[in-house]
Amino acid sequence: MKKGNILIVLLLSCILVTGCTSQEILERIGLVTLIGYDAAEEDKVTATSVIRQINPELQSKVEVQSETESTSRGTRVKVDMKTSKKLAAGQLRVILFGEDLAKNGIEDALHTTMMNNEISTSIYLAVVKGTSKSLLEYPYKDVTDVGQHIYNLMDHNIEQQHIISSTLHEIVRDNYSEVRNFALPILRKNGEFIQFDGTAFFSHGKMVGNLPAGDNFYILMMQDNFKDSTLELVLDGQSIDSSKFEEKQLQIAIDSIKTKRKIKVVNPEQNEFDLTIDMKCRLLEINSLIPTSDAKLLEKIEKAINEKVKNELSRILKYSQEVNSDIYGFGEQYRAQVRGAKLTDQKWREMFQDMKVNVDVDVEIIRNGVFE
Amino acid sequence: MFREPKKNATNSNEQQNKEEPEKLPIPASKREFLDVLKEKVHSPADLVIKNISATVTIVYLDFLIDGKILNEQILPILEKEQSAPPKTIKEKLPIAEIDLSAELNKSVLEMLIGAVLIHSEGHSELVIAKISSYQSRGLSAPENESQVIGSQVGFNENLATNISLIRRYITNPNLCNEKFTLGKDTMTSLSVLYIDGIASEQHVNTIRQRIEDLDISDLLDSAVLSELIDDNSFSMFPQLLLTERPDRFCDGLLSGKVGIVVNGSSMAILCPYTFIEFFQSREDQNLRWQIATFIRLLRFMAMIISIFFTPIYVAALTFHYEVIPQPLLVPLSESRAIVPFPPIIEALVLELIIELLREAGARLPTKVGQTIGIVGGIVLGTAAVEAGITSNILIIIIALCALASFTTPNYLMGNVIRILRFPIIILAGFWGFFGVMLAFCFLIIHLLRQSSLGAPYMAPIYPPRWKDWPDSFIRMPLPFISRQSVNSRAQSNNQETNENLAKEEKVIR
Amino acid sequence: MKSTLQIGNDEKFNASLFFFVIAAAQVGVGIHGFQRVVVKDAGHDAWISVILAALFSHIVVFFMIKTLELYPSNDLYGIHLDIFGKFIGSIVNIIYVLYCTFAFYSVIKNYIEVINTWVFPDLSQSFITTVLLILVIYAFTGGLRVMLGVCFFSFMTGLWILIVVYMPLKYAHYNHLLPLFGHDITSIFKGAYSMTFTIVGFEVINTLYPYAKEKNKVQKYVHLALLCTLFIYLSVILVSLVYFSEAQLERTLWATLTLFTVIKLPFIERIEIIIICFWTIIILPNLCLFAWSAYRGVKRFKNVKGTTFIWLFSILMFIANIPMQSRTQIDDINNFFAQIAFVIVFLYPILLYIMASLKNVLRKGGRKNEKG
Repeated sequence: MKKGNILIVLLLSCILVTGCTSQEILERIGLVTLIGYDAAEEDKVTATSVIRQINPELQSKVEVQSETESTSRGTRVKVDMKTSKKLAAGQLRVILFGEDLAKNGIEDALHTTMMNNEISTSIYLAVVKGTSKSLLEYPYKDVTDVGQHIYNLMDHNIEQQHIISSTLHEIVRDNYSEVRNFALPILRKNGEFIQFDGTAFFSHGKMVGNLPAGDNFYILMMQDNFKDSTLELVLDGQSIDSSKFEEKQLQIAIDSIKTKRKIKVVNPEQNEFDLTIDMKCRLLEINSLIPTSDAKLLEKIEKAINEKVKNELSRILKYSQEVNSDIYGFGEQYRAQVRGAKLTDQKWREMFQDMKVNVDVDVEIIRNGVFE
Repeated sequence: MFREPKKNATNSNEQQNKEEPEKLPIPASKREFLDVLKEKVHSPADLVIKNISATVTIVYLDFLIDGKILNEQILPILEKEQSAPPKTIKEKLPIAEIDLSAELNKSVLEMLIGAVLIHSEGHSELVIAKISSYQSRGLSAPENESQVIGSQVGFNENLATNISLIRRYITNPNLCNEKFTLGKDTMTSLSVLYIDGIASEQHVNTIRQRIEDLDISDLLDSAVLSELIDDNSFSMFPQLLLTERPDRFCDGLLSGKVGIVVNGSSMAILCPYTFIEFFQSREDQNLRWQIATFIRLLRFMAMIISIFFTPIYVAALTFHYEVIPQPLLVPLSESRAIVPFPPIIEALVLELIIELLREAGARLPTKVGQTIGIVGGIVLGTAAVEAGITSNILIIIIALCALASFTTPNYLMGNVIRILRFPIIILAGFWGFFGVMLAFCFLIIHLLRQSSLGAPYMAPIYPPRWKDWPDSFIRMPLPFISRQSVNSRAQSNNQETNENLAKEEKVIR
Repeated sequence: MKSTLQIGNDEKFNASLFFFVIAAAQVGVGIHGFQRVVVKDAGHDAWISVILAALFSHIVVFFMIKTLELYPSNDLYGIHLDIFGKFIGSIVNIIYVLYCTFAFYSVIKNYIEVINTWVFPDLSQSFITTVLLILVIYAFTGGLRVMLGVCFFSFMTGLWILIVVYMPLKYAHYNHLLPLFGHDITSIFKGAYSMTFTIVGFEVINTLYPYAKEKNKVQKYVHLALLCTLFIYLSVILVSLVYFSEAQLERTLWATLTLFTVIKLPFIERIEIIIICFWTIIILPNLCLFAWSAYRGVKRFKNVKGTTFIWLFSILMFIANIPMQSRTQIDDINNFFAQIAFVIVFLYPILLYIMASLKNVLRKGGRKNEKG
């Protein structure tokens, strides 16, 4: 027993000697909540960090620091030299890429981020029109913490499916996948506000094109089964009721309740796909002249919506084929449905450009509010 | 540590046995008798010697006997029977407990408990009339184990009263009562109670053995006894239950436990007790089962919160700022902004303050205690936050933990839970969640190593006794409760397994 | 047979406990990152490999228990001595003891690697080893009852992680699993072989079997335990396959942990940090049981006390821990261990069963001859 006690004492002292580890006490570190990367000269990157610091006046202060260095870690060291507190990236929420950098390719930045164990894979990524530095350094009137503001902005818009979901995980998954590309939402400074300005298409880590924000609904519709999203449509009034809407356009807004997207390979050799979209929705807004209880009229509206959505989808598909960015997972479906497809990166790139898609949209209005 | 004294104890017991046969005869002459007696008890002030007649003398200790009986039943008869031999006196006296003795030491002991010694000139025999009267407190409600619904009577310090209370609850010829006397200097009497046929023979033997092996000079309280006879004196966890509720005690006896009642102590011991049972209250059985279940689960949750909440706070703020969700981040860090200490110091200081308050409240009279609570809790807390020594979020957490630790129905277990926090906070402050997990693992292994009277402490969780599980965590409706847990079941269980083994042997052959 | 163990009834355990023991012994450090090795061979059919590997383990366990049933009150070491004779039997015993020691070492090493990479980059390895060893010593000196209790609690308290595993399904792409059997059978078998490191652990039954109270029920519970761990592994691999893209999975070192980084709960984020720390109690049964298995073997050579053994064993482990520090070394250790484990756990028991039953038949025959 006594021998054991001595051994235990020895061991305990061993522990105390060897077991020290560096602390990261919450209020004594500067929390980097957002990083923006921009391209700089000579292959260097400019990193703009939004750092939240707590100062003893019981207020949190947000600092925006920017540095240029050849590695992102190097910029962090340089920023560290300018801040009063040690920087920690564990609370990073958003990474922004300047347009130039996005066009040069963001694969390296993604790889660095994935290697770092501090950073969660649930953070959001986005592209900034112009440079992220100018977006972040502008003193917005109503925004105290630009990092948190952008995070909340993205969070609820992704939640509501107004923009495409761009968590680090999804981007990395699609980036490393051989048969899929990814897209990022585009942010833009608009006066005193920050707002979404469309979707950037990437191919092999390089930004190859973009579509305006109005097309987000259709992109999302093709990407996945989506749950709820609001869509504003302009239909041709004449096709619905020529007596009432001569020359006029009919504006309606619908809200999808349940949408089912199906991609089917109908002809592997010909590279032909069937894209079926089955949408159940409710009517949110419509011209007051239209009696919504009229079943026949509703049917007509549905038909008009079908036609409209179908055209839009085809247009967007054509655009993505042009820029050669398969963000919808056609390649994945091809690989899953065609046995022994053995798709490689190169092969799918060629196939995607000349694939044929038969779009079929079926919209059903199942609810139309509490007032006719 | 515990085993060694035991060996000594057995040795000294043997020595004692050898010394004992030295019996003192009682002198026949009155003067000689009185001299010897006085020498034996060091002629105390309360020794009363009364000469009834030339031959008959009575001796007793004042305040220990019932004066009324002495005056009305003994004195008149003794006055009538002048110079009668002890045998005649014994027959004449209308007293139930009366004895003859020719041995001085034993007589003196009886006198010390409250007997009148009657000496008759020329006879070397004494009449011992036991008319002791106890000075005892009336029965009152149990202070530390109060309950809302249920009986409101608690044990008092008198062994006889306590046993009568228990007998009133359990009218059963199988209720066995074994008497022991412990302590060379105090000669404290204690009773081991169990119900024959329900309690396990093995447990009764263990208790008997452990009490007999004790060699102590004094025993003033059952709490001391409980520490002397438990399995592991090094463990913080109580292994035997101390209760002041007769209904809880009887409930224990009826479910097969062994009870010990010590004279002079208002707490009775119940054993073997398991970890889970410390979180059950007698009142659970008086409430509707749904409500009792909720309260029981609440207690387990409270225990876990109480032990691990503060350490997790310390760990998260010291090392793992990543785990804090964004909405919590700002309030947490702002509340900590002007605190000059790292979280570990802050938490330890606050925990210490709570302990100080509790200890001060416990030692002071009830009325003053409340003031201390208000002064300490409200004034100190607010001032500390305003002065920037602690963060208000931590105050909430610490208060919550303290509150949670008081929900444990057993005071001893509640203490353990509160004290346990300190080492875990320190571990959390050094090694974050890893430190907390080390403490958790250590705690589990420690609990697994414990036993109560040789029965596993963590039963029925481990070793798993599935049949007892439902009634351990939740309170099953009464018709579904099996009265005895497997842990303290007498023979049936062993028989079963033996039969199983026999069957199995056959199968193998 | 002189080598028969004398085990009192009090030292024996209910057969139902074996369920928890085997399940706890099997789940260990392997589950953190087994996806990578399996996917490298079997691609998106990795889940079939997992099922195959589990199937093999069922077969092997069946033979193990059949062998042990031939010697109702003897463990593997005694069986070796009986079959091979004193000299060769002892050598085989030494090999098995070394195997257990190696397993112990490998578990500690891998866990340290995970802690150092994810939670505390600068916590010294000797410290982690020391505290783990202290826990093992504390449990070991409590006897087999305490060690099995640790297994039980490890299983029970670890169940919540199973719920967490399903949370990332929000990002699932189920078509990753298609087409079924896209890989040829050899690569699927190869994947199953790669599971070895993860799936071993059930061989502790070799030394624990004599301690069962109802021996005829042991088999049932062990197979149930294997089914349970199959369920765990299958859940993890299926979730990983639908969550990650294949190429990404091949590059992710600890896919299970990366999987957890995406989870956000209202009160806590970055759940992988908690899970890694929580893993202490998951690997504790592994360590205890391997140490104990080694102890039973050592006891055949020299009658040492458990306390002495575990102290010496711990000191040995502590010293052995010092030279191996880098990731590549640990990878080498794992590969080497997997090869050894494959032979000892998967191939050898079947061979042993054949030999044991042959010996049994011969002995019976001999007896008949004697009688005749």
